[in-house]
Amino acid sequence: MTTTPHTAPPRDATESVFSVRDLWKVFGPKAERVPADPELGALGATELRERTGCTAAVRDVSFDVRKGEVFVVMGLSGSGKSTLVRCLTRLIEPTSGTIAIDGEDVLSMDSGRLRELRRHRAAMVFQHFGLLPHRTVLDNVAYGLEIQGVGRGERRERAAEFVTKVGLDGMEHRRPSQLSGGQRQRVGLARALAVDPEVLLFDEPFSALDPLIRRDMQEEVVRLHREEGRTMVFITHDLNEALKLGDRIALMRDGRVVQLGTPEEIVGEPADEYVRDFVRDVPREQVLTVRSAMRPALAGEYEAGPALAPTATVHEAIEAVARTGANARIVEDGRCLGVVDHAGLLGVVAGVPVTTGRAVA
Amino acid sequence: MTATVTPASARPSSPAAARGVLRVFAGHRGRLLCAGTAVALVLGAVFLGGGGWPASLVADPSGPLDRAGDWIVDNRDGHPLFLYFLGHISNAVVVSVRAVYLALLALGWAGVTAAAGLVAWRVAGVRLALTSVAAIAVCGLLGMWVPTLQTLALMVVAVAASVLLGGLLGLTAGLSDRMGRILRPVLDTMQVLPAFAYLLPVVLVFGIGVPAAVLATVVYAAPPMARLTALGLRGADAGVMEAVASLGATGRQRLLTARLPLARKELLLGLSQSIMMALGMAVIASVIGAGGLGDRVYQALASVDVGAALAAGVPIVLLAVVLDRVTGAAGERLGAAPARRAGTGWAVALVVTAVVAGAGRLSGRLSWPDGWTVDIAEPVNGAVDWMTAHLYSGVPLVGGTADWAARFTTWVLNPLRDGLQWLPWWAVLLTVGALALLIGTWRTATTAVLAMAAIGALGVWDPALDTLSQVLAAVAVTLVLGFALGVAAARSTRLGRVLRPVLDVFQTLPQFVYLIPVVALFGVGRAPAVAAAVVYALPAVVRITAQGVLAVDPAALESSRSLGATGRQQLFQVQLPLARPALLLAVNQGVVLVLAVVVIGGLVGGGALGYDAVFGLAQGDLATGLVAGAAIVCLGLALDRVTQPTERRDLARKGA
Ligand SMILES: Nc1ncnc2c1ncn2[C@@H]1O[C@H](COP(=O)(O)OP(=O)(O)OP(=O)(O)O)[C@@H](O)[C@H]1O
Ligand SMILES: [Mg+2]
Repeated sequence: MTTTPHTAPPRDATESVFSVRDLWKVFGPKAERVPADPELGALGATELRERTGCTAAVRDVSFDVRKGEVFVVMGLSGSGKSTLVRCLTRLIEPTSGTIAIDGEDVLSMDSGRLRELRRHRAAMVFQHFGLLPHRTVLDNVAYGLEIQGVGRGERRERAAEFVTKVGLDGMEHRRPSQLSGGQRQRVGLARALAVDPEVLLFDEPFSALDPLIRRDMQEEVVRLHREEGRTMVFITHDLNEALKLGDRIALMRDGRVVQLGTPEEIVGEPADEYVRDFVRDVPREQVLTVRSAMRPALAGEYEAGPALAPTATVHEAIEAVARTGANARIVEDGRCLGVVDHAGLLGVVAGVPVTTGRAVA
Repeated sequence: MTATVTPASARPSSPAAARGVLRVFAGHRGRLLCAGTAVALVLGAVFLGGGGWPASLVADPSGPLDRAGDWIVDNRDGHPLFLYFLGHISNAVVVSVRAVYLALLALGWAGVTAAAGLVAWRVAGVRLALTSVAAIAVCGLLGMWVPTLQTLALMVVAVAASVLLGGLLGLTAGLSDRMGRILRPVLDTMQVLPAFAYLLPVVLVFGIGVPAAVLATVVYAAPPMARLTALGLRGADAGVMEAVASLGATGRQRLLTARLPLARKELLLGLSQSIMMALGMAVIASVIGAGGLGDRVYQALASVDVGAALAAGVPIVLLAVVLDRVTGAAGERLGAAPARRAGTGWAVALVVTAVVAGAGRLSGRLSWPDGWTVDIAEPVNGAVDWMTAHLYSGVPLVGGTADWAARFTTWVLNPLRDGLQWLPWWAVLLTVGALALLIGTWRTATTAVLAMAAIGALGVWDPALDTLSQVLAAVAVTLVLGFALGVAAARSTRLGRVLRPVLDVFQTLPQFVYLIPVVALFGVGRAPAVAAAVVYALPAVVRITAQGVLAVDPAALESSRSLGATGRQQLFQVQLPLARPALLLAVNQGVVLVLAVVVIGGLVGGGALGYDAVFGLAQGDLATGLVAGAAIVCLGLALDRVTQPTERRDLARKGA
């Protein structure tokens, strides 16, 4: 596994697309009382079901999705990821809390405004594709535009462009049943892209695909993100996928967000035992950057040894150090931030705190 | 008679085979129920005494019914209800049937044949196109051109109306949970009622004639369309619907661009079932003035002219087979690759039809040429005469068909009928209730008992029991043959393969045509009615049984085989018990289908309720007819509920 070094920081950290505060979604009878009552809200899943017959799928979740970032929501099956992402466009009506898109309150939108949001601002890609079986690939891709009332000629033209973009040239006239799983998801992706949304929402889009196709599709998403810089909210239960795609990751468990941070933070500083367990098998050297293994440079070290960017992974540093036999320098804008040596690198790989490390980071 | 309710008390020492079969039908409630029934019977005998339905409990409705009938006849031309509502409906029906008929006539025989072939070609392919052309040609050859067109015209109008009506009902039932809950039991019940029961109410309102026939057909054919529409709309893939909503579709857009297209398989199935039901009813409705092919059969049967009946029956069979195949093939094509240039194909079809029709007009040959007909009535009647002379009786060793019929009547039907009529009325009610409870729930049992009581209250207890005796005899024969054939078909792939096309054809034929061969073979009477019912119900029973046995979990079978069970043991200890739901469904379907034909058997001497209904229609004695009709409805309800398994499965139902 190689991590793509595309951790381009959001252009403006304060500018958030989605802003979610204290969001609850409880399924079941008289669901409103659960968030309202702190005692009920604190109950575990089984206890809550026994006491009230309700399931709390999303519990008191707050986060911001910044413009241009890939925000990944990760968690095991049943942790509430799908429910959360559907709440964003009110495909599932939240029980309480607030959601704002570009500062506009989503929960108070009337149906017309909400349709507008779904048509132009947030488009979703689904795990099970959700394609219309009676339409051709082209008409499926054009469907979102058709819903918006775009004329037949124009929407077909635009759809054809996106069919090409996702690499389905020559399959315009097939039906979904004549496509492979990966190709179907490309159609789903093209359909979402065709409406030119501000945010793309993905709900485990690649879980139904086999590993090779999944990797292709992930690369497709990375490419799209690099080319267009579109904001994405990406749901997955696959840690590797999360680490590969995410600028920031929210890790969910039983409806709550247990940790929110960059891949490096999640792997490097797990917030609790659960997260630590979760990331145990991750090849740390491929996620963590050299910053985590860095120590201040001593006199004389400023000039010697191979130079690395601060965004380079520990894995790359090990390679450089092993090849040259010397400590590597971390250089940013011609300035040396520090050095990594054998001890620091080994400490990161072994997952033990490095005494010399974190000082500068 | 309690023998029928005591399967659970079968002693453990009885042979494994019998035990297995009995276990299939006995729930754990069996013993309790039997004990309860027995106690109740004893108590009833002490307190209520025996005999048929007591006269004091009869609420004779014929007086009010006669008055209602008279009122309708008197006011048909004057009352605003008729002038401004029913009259318009009636006129609209007459005008549209006439218009379609004239349009078909104007196309000429060549045009109609070409149109049929080309439509079949577009929706179902070349082979079925040729079949259609051949079928239409045979209709003409048999001298049935005009009746065929009459039947077609009536069907076109009726199918259009019932698709519209059923589609709208299905739409509301599919989109609103409340309407769904209300409509479902109504539609379910409508589908188990014999076709005959629909005739009388419409005649009461519209009088005998084409409007009554069309409306009866519409009402009869709409339920499957409504059911399937609702089913399809409800069954829409939730994932797709969510995706559509996520793109910001309005309610209308969701319905028109997603929900309806997603349901197109069910919609087409609904259409095809409606067409088949409409054909069946259009033929039966000859009794109330539908005209066309059914009328020819009806007239011929009335004078026991088998040849003439066959000449009209063959076109009915051909229409049924062609319509079934073409709509079926259209359904299969739905999932396939998109037809490129579909528009061009239809344009070609249209142009060719127009050219052929134009050519026919120019050559002045619109009606089927007289010279191109073959009279099969005479040779067929010759053959039937020969049969009457040689096969009816006195065939060495086997006896003759008439002898069989007579013996069946004497040894089975008469004792059964007399026994039922001899039974105390409350014993009948108790038995019905206990049986319903054994198979179904309290609700079904209550409905069944109430329906039977209503029959008594209507004052037709004895004829209803006569009909019931015929039904029971026919069901017994059907189930014995059907289970045997079904199990055999499930266990031998070769037999299954041979049987399937035969069952396919037999399942599509309208009830009416089954009367023709049995009259040829057995003459008239109750035995032929029973025979027709058996033949009509058999395919469905065989099919459901075979499907049920085949669907048995292979793992269960394998484990029993690994324990060294013989084929017999496997069948009776594993396959049949596990196929219990399917077998119960087969019984239910068998009963419903048998009743439908036993009632129609009134046309060929079956007597009882069916005869009352026909008599009422023929003599204009609507009170008698309506009472018989209501009793038929009640009997249908009771029989369906008695045999209704707790969870009704939507397995293949025979048109009903
Ligand atoms: N409509 C519903 N009614 C009741 N409970 C629901 C409903 N939808 C989801 N839940 C419950 O909410 C919880 C979260 O479900 P959700 O589908 O959001 O999980 P998820 O993280 O997406 O899981 P997966 O990875 O399996 O898709 C689960 O316990 C689920 O049973
Ligand atoms: Mg999910």
